Amino acid sequence: MRSLLFIIRRTLKNIVKGVFKKPILLIGYLFIAFFIVSMVFASFAMPTGLIRSGSPDLYVGIITMVFVLMYYSTFKLGIDKGSTYFRMADVNFAFPAPVKPNHILLYGFIKQMGGTLFFLFIAICQIPNLKNNFELKPYGTWLILFSVIIYALSYPLISMFLYSWATKKTGRKKLLKRIIDILSLVAAALTLLDLAKTRNFIETLGNVFGSPAIKYFPVIGWTSSIATASLNGFTTEFWVGAVGMLVLIVGASIILYRMNLDYYEDVLEGAEFFEEAVKAKREGRNLMFNLKVKKGVKQKLSGTGPSAIFFKHLLEIRKTALLLFFDRSSITVIVSALAFRLIMPHDAQELPLSLVLYFSLYMLLLINMQGGLSSEMDKHYIFLIPASPHEKLFFATLSGHTKNFFDGSLLFILSGILFKAPINTIVSCIITYVLFGAVYLYSDVVNQKLFGRIHSKGLMIFIKAMINILIVVPGAIGAGIVLAITESEFFMICVLGGWSFVLAVTLFVFAAGIFSNIETVS
Amino acid sequence: MLKVKNLSKKYEKILAVNKVSFEIDSGEIGVLIGPNGAGKSTTIKSIAGLLRFDGEILIDGKPNKSVEAKRIFGYVPESPALYEYLTVWDHLEFMARAYKLEAWEEAAEALLTRFEMDDKKKKIGKELSKGMQQKVSICCALLIKPHVVMFDEPMIGLDPKAIKELKEMFVELKNSGCAILISTHILDSITDIWDKVLIMNKGEIVFNNTRDALAASGESLEHIFFSKTGEEGEAQ
Repeated sequence: MRSLLFIIRRTLKNIVKGVFKKPILLIGYLFIAFFIVSMVFASFAMPTGLIRSGSPDLYVGIITMVFVLMYYSTFKLGIDKGSTYFRMADVNFAFPAPVKPNHILLYGFIKQMGGTLFFLFIAICQIPNLKNNFELKPYGTWLILFSVIIYALSYPLISMFLYSWATKKTGRKKLLKRIIDILSLVAAALTLLDLAKTRNFIETLGNVFGSPAIKYFPVIGWTSSIATASLNGFTTEFWVGAVGMLVLIVGASIILYRMNLDYYEDVLEGAEFFEEAVKAKREGRNLMFNLKVKKGVKQKLSGTGPSAIFFKHLLEIRKTALLLFFDRSSITVIVSALAFRLIMPHDAQELPLSLVLYFSLYMLLLINMQGGLSSEMDKHYIFLIPASPHEKLFFATLSGHTKNFFDGSLLFILSGILFKAPINTIVSCIITYVLFGAVYLYSDVVNQKLFGRIHSKGLMIFIKAMINILIVVPGAIGAGIVLAITESEFFMICVLGGWSFVLAVTLFVFAAGIFSNIETVS
Repeated sequence: MLKVKNLSKKYEKILAVNKVSFEIDSGEIGVLIGPNGAGKSTTIKSIAGLLRFDGEILIDGKPNKSVEAKRIFGYVPESPALYEYLTVWDHLEFMARAYKLEAWEEAAEALLTRFEMDDKKKKIGKELSKGMQQKVSICCALLIKPHVVMFDEPMIGLDPKAIKELKEMFVELKNSGCAILISTHILDSITDIWDKVLIMNKGEIVFNNTRDALAASGESLEHIFFSKTGEEGEAQ
């Protein structure tokens, strides 16, 4: 066991040493630390229910829906690949070593506890928003964080059990997947039925996801009951959930630890998959990762010179998208932006599309899609094409803009109809969405030129996000002023769009040199 | 000595390895060759203790998944994944700790020097090229002074000097009484050193013979490979 702890100890030591070697990284990490400390401070110290006191049913509905989605995706992947605490380095070095598998499992758990920090960070970023809209109990923040820890510890364990059980006999995998699909279909059907009855999304959310059947539903309901006690207090659901999850985690760990373990095979595929996922994330194609490639797509490559890159990207999109340009990122942006608008109270009737636009831009920033660009920069072909860097950059990013136009049109036409917005506002929203996509994309390229592929992808994403927010701020201030003067949503969005156009063109000019030679991206 | 008895492995409905048996004696170099999908990787992973299987795998008479067997077993995997934030020296220190080695530092230094990695001791895993990672992987496997060692495509990514060193090392290990199993696609890379050849095809061992017996028959390894697997152009 001591040899395994050596890996964790030394890894941490080397990370810290690496940060101190590069002052720019140190500044970056200090900035992140400051940000986290501020968020933690805000999460605990800020008053609750500052803006409004949302209904407990809505709170329970939102929290449960989030856990349903989180568990659904992790279990589905777990059945397929087996969830794992391990990386390929563990498979190569720790697994063949003369160390008891139980100790290796324990080591995996300790590593996973480090992984929970990531989930905690995400949760901490959401708490101020929850506190603004709901009246949480004084100990509410602690309970939300506790539920996140419970989730992060339980899902790999349950996934490991599911995978292990499913792979022992032919047909079990299919059976489990079918059960999960049926349960999700039932949930979706119940939601739609209730929505048809209430015609109110907020009420439906509370009715379906806050129902007693879900509150006591093992694992998902239990975890969510822990989190919702932050508003409802220590109710029976909380105790059932907390005791249930603790018994499950401790029990499963003891069973695994005491068993004559032979779990390496169960985690092998998961480790390989995880390694690929990490690589995909580093290359900025995490949402494209693990997509099924359609067979039999017939489309000839067209275009000559650098435009061939654009047509190649179109073909790639056709092979991976669900329909035309509609893919996972479309679903993420469209569904989350619409849900956000629906959940928000109707006190912004005169600005029907602003909330949708702001939230979709926020999601677009989070998704941080580089389209086909990142995969091009990894290969030498684009550097060899005889064309100017400007042409190459334009065509290498054109598919990204086209996709943003497609997603934007879908989102804003749909929202325009739903929230009865005028056509000029819909069109300005679509154009602004595309232009912001271009700002994010070209600022990514400029950042890569400035910083290269540094040390930590997490730090890089943080720096990019901060820079993006900073450069967008003047436009947002301008838009606010115009709204105050004209009281017109259309003019406000036009100012935002105008600013993003200036930014996109400027960043494009600075970014173009990226394809001058391969060194600029390495 | 490595002994594989009636090894079978099924992935759901697919029988990847079917009742494979062979032995590599101490002081013998065995090569495992076969076309893609022949079952080599499954066999290798089973021997390394990474898969559940039917049959028996013994390392110096001990079941391969026992701690005692693992203590004397070295493994160089096909993909040399290192710990991203451990230095080259940290990897060797981990091996020394996990295998409870004593006074290992000198041997570690010698291995690194031999593979021209002595100036990279403080580099962390993610800073190393694929070839360098492979060298670290080899150094780690050899540091434990294994009785049985298994190499999965060991030459891939190595520079000519490292290939030469590795080949010399195979012979030194053999002379020290170690049983060596090398899985490879590149027949030319092991032409001079092997003692026993195992050709796998469709999950079975279709040829198992010694160098002397093959020499007596007057056939080349390449010819045997193609005739037993029906493959053209698979091996180089």
